[in-house]
Amino acid sequence: MLGVLKAIKTTISTALRKPVTVEYPSTKKELPHRSRGLPVLLWDFDVEEPFCTGCQVCARYCPVDCMTMTMKDNPLYAEGKSKRKKIVDKFYIDYARCMRCDICVEVCNFDAIVMNNTWEGVELSRYDRHDLVLDVDQLMDQSKSGELKDPFREPMGVAHSGWTPKVRSEEEKEAVAAKEESGEE
Amino acid sequence: MATEYSVTPGKDLETIDINVNVGPQHPATHGVFRMVLTVDGEQVVDVDPIIGYMHRGAEKLSENCDYRQAIGYQDRTDYLAQFNTELCYVQAVEKLAGIEPPERAEYIRVILAELNRIASHYMFMGAFGTDIGVFGTAFMYTFRDREIIQDLFEEITGERMMYAYFRAGGVAWDVPEDFRERCREVLSAVRKGIGDIDGLMTDNEVIIARCRGVSPVTPEDAINWGLTGPMLRATGLEHDVRRAEPYCIYDRFEFDIPTGIQGDVYDRYLVRLEEMRQSVRIVEQALEGMPEGPIMAEGLKRTLRLPEGEVYMRNETPRGEYGIYLISKGGDKPYRLKIRSPAFSNLSALRAMSIGSYVADTIVTLGSIDIVLCEVDR
Amino acid sequence: MIADNAWLDGLIRMGAIALAMPLSVIILTYLERKISGRLQQRLGPMRVGPYGILQGLADTIKLLTKEDLRPQTADRWTFELAPFAVMVPVFLAFVTLPFTADLFVRNLELGLFFIIAVSGVSIVGFVMAGWGSDNKYALLGGARAAAQLISYEIPLVLAVVAVAMIAYTPEAGRGSLNLVEIVDGQGRVPFIVWQPLAFFIFLVAGLAELYRQPFDIPVAESEVVGGPFIEYSGIRWSMFQMAEFVSMVLISVLASLLFLGGWNWPLGNGAGIALQVPLIFVKTSFFILLFIWLRFSLPRLRIDQMMQFCWQVLLPFALLQIIINGWVLVYGWPDWTLGVSSGALTLVAGYLTYRAARQAAEQPVSPRLHRVGSVM
Repeated sequence: MLGVLKAIKTTISTALRKPVTVEYPSTKKELPHRSRGLPVLLWDFDVEEPFCTGCQVCARYCPVDCMTMTMKDNPLYAEGKSKRKKIVDKFYIDYARCMRCDICVEVCNFDAIVMNNTWEGVELSRYDRHDLVLDVDQLMDQSKSGELKDPFREPMGVAHSGWTPKVRSEEEKEAVAAKEESGEE
Repeated sequence: MATEYSVTPGKDLETIDINVNVGPQHPATHGVFRMVLTVDGEQVVDVDPIIGYMHRGAEKLSENCDYRQAIGYQDRTDYLAQFNTELCYVQAVEKLAGIEPPERAEYIRVILAELNRIASHYMFMGAFGTDIGVFGTAFMYTFRDREIIQDLFEEITGERMMYAYFRAGGVAWDVPEDFRERCREVLSAVRKGIGDIDGLMTDNEVIIARCRGVSPVTPEDAINWGLTGPMLRATGLEHDVRRAEPYCIYDRFEFDIPTGIQGDVYDRYLVRLEEMRQSVRIVEQALEGMPEGPIMAEGLKRTLRLPEGEVYMRNETPRGEYGIYLISKGGDKPYRLKIRSPAFSNLSALRAMSIGSYVADTIVTLGSIDIVLCEVDR
Repeated sequence: MIADNAWLDGLIRMGAIALAMPLSVIILTYLERKISGRLQQRLGPMRVGPYGILQGLADTIKLLTKEDLRPQTADRWTFELAPFAVMVPVFLAFVTLPFTADLFVRNLELGLFFIIAVSGVSIVGFVMAGWGSDNKYALLGGARAAAQLISYEIPLVLAVVAVAMIAYTPEAGRGSLNLVEIVDGQGRVPFIVWQPLAFFIFLVAGLAELYRQPFDIPVAESEVVGGPFIEYSGIRWSMFQMAEFVSMVLISVLASLLFLGGWNWPLGNGAGIALQVPLIFVKTSFFILLFIWLRFSLPRLRIDQMMQFCWQVLLPFALLQIIINGWVLVYGWPDWTLGVSSGALTLVAGYLTYRAARQAAEQPVSPRLHRVGSVM
């Protein structure tokens, strides 16, 4: 019987502590900086265009083949405003397939794709699962509207040995992109 | 093992056995497991476990991925001990490729794997308490503390469940600055949580009445069934892969391997409870010894290509001995990947353990195996 | 008398009971959820109304508007009448249950007997629900319910009998089944002092009658998934739920009447209605809180252990208590002998239960296991 008394003593002692639950939609826990939501594209505010050049490297490394994108000539490059020769034309991510493994962020050479680390984002309830395939505007929305202020991008580079993260000039990036295109291995 | 059972209906009164279908959706099946109980009143005459509801072809999927992509699939085999399964996979790859991960990465791996073991055992305690009838209280206690551990994991990896954090050759990125302090905070919360569970369940006479002597397994039977992990240690055999064949850097740490005597449900519970305390010890030692330095082996190609060969790597996950058998024929994808899932082997003993017991005992026995159906079905 | 006409008076009083009971169920469901939340370090319901106080009401509306499903293969009348067979007897028991010296429907001379007899009928409802649902979980649960409720009825009745034996009134002397007289008999000293053993037996058996932890075997969530109630939904399910909570109130009120002096103790006979109501309310609440607290702290016994406990511990000791009461009454020994003997027996019973429970625990445990490298 002593064990039973011990058990009921434990429950009453717990009752005197502060509850640990929060009322979710009204109170939200602060997300850590590294929090990994779903992948979104970043917007380059300097040139007013996406970082992404549509180089396909993330699509190639994606374990679940949830991404598709195409590339086009950059009109801003022709105007001389941008240094990117190529720019993303269409970009689709199937959020229903994505398994949030972070590999696309890791392999991206242009820091163009990150995992969303904010509470605001795409509400994922849909009546039709095909609606979970997001196009480039929807993917860009988080960054463009300024909600995604401080994405976590450290994996870029660190995960590959001997490739310390460094700021690349745009030319270098272009060169890497070209290399990626011409067959990565 | 309780195998002898004879139905002795009265001479005048005809009784029939009925089949009760437990699962695939039933509060006690911990996932989509189904067992058809043949019961004679309250006594179980036969158990027919049916698995396969969660089969996703994890092995085949991993064979179609390169060595980095497949890490994400390893998380999804044992979704309660993701770091442990990831660790097993990346070590298999490292062993075949001959990569030596740096010191700091090894320490991070051990700390995370042991914290994950605690989290997994918390999950067991909660589910076991619910099986045995503590109306949600054990579950809430354990989830409260598991949440603290998961918060730490989220701060490090960004994910709460499917971490995909270990890489062949190290870890994906470095832990945050305040890692040590946060770990110590988590450990003190874990100690308090273990105390709560201990107070609620260990000495409780009702728990003892329900668990003592239920489905005992002898060491011989355990070996014959291929039981591993706490199921095996509860029978008194001191076998732990961390000690028997130290992987990673487990040979540097001092820890005890708790063993039981009778191999019954209560011993399994006690072994797990004690294992949690031992994990706390290991994490403390690892935190002391964790060096600074690189977290990724030098000189790796962007896409890892393995030489021809085959390797078997085994790890001690919370459920037992988790093995990865990897055959490479060169190239960036494995030719064959076979997962030795501990919960599957442990589950195979369910029928023999349950026959002749009560319906309630069968539920408790199933709970004490601590199955993860994703891992059983793969 | 509220009204001059006896029929009208009875109707008004019964109406009040019939209204008060569902209301208390609504409050109790909210309380149980809230208290369980606290015991588990949660907030509990917080959404409906401030601090979720309207949660019970919301639940009620949900249950009332839910579709009333009946499985195609169910035995129609058995299935549909089972909730009534469970709920009506519980309500009937309230006909004679006095809350204060004059707050009752009718005070029967055999009130205690009536309550026990009527509340025993609800077992039929469980068996009907178990059989009529045409579901194997329900069948198992119904059989468990029948076995458990019938078994625990016996120690419960015997504990009540022990109290009825020593109930004392100046007019009729020893022995009474009239609840008002029983309560009046404990003006200064509640019967828990004279009959601690009977009190504990009553508490345990009452807990089993309520099929709450650790005796929730008939409805065991992880085994038979709600047992007899598994196929019920909507209003019929809520009737079972109502019966459960109302019988919790019934057992709690009965326990405070029989053992804690009801509306009298500790203030003695003649406390006015303004004192009687709070007194009985506090005592009843104590038992209800105890039941809720136990529910969220204890696991469930197995059916054979539960039966063993009933027939091998509770029943012999209940009989022993009655025999001792008989001796004391026949030889006219003073009241304190009752208290001493019953207290001693309680200790013996507690020790024996403890021994039996420890026996399993004291089987050898590996020395390696018992907090080997305790880091605590």
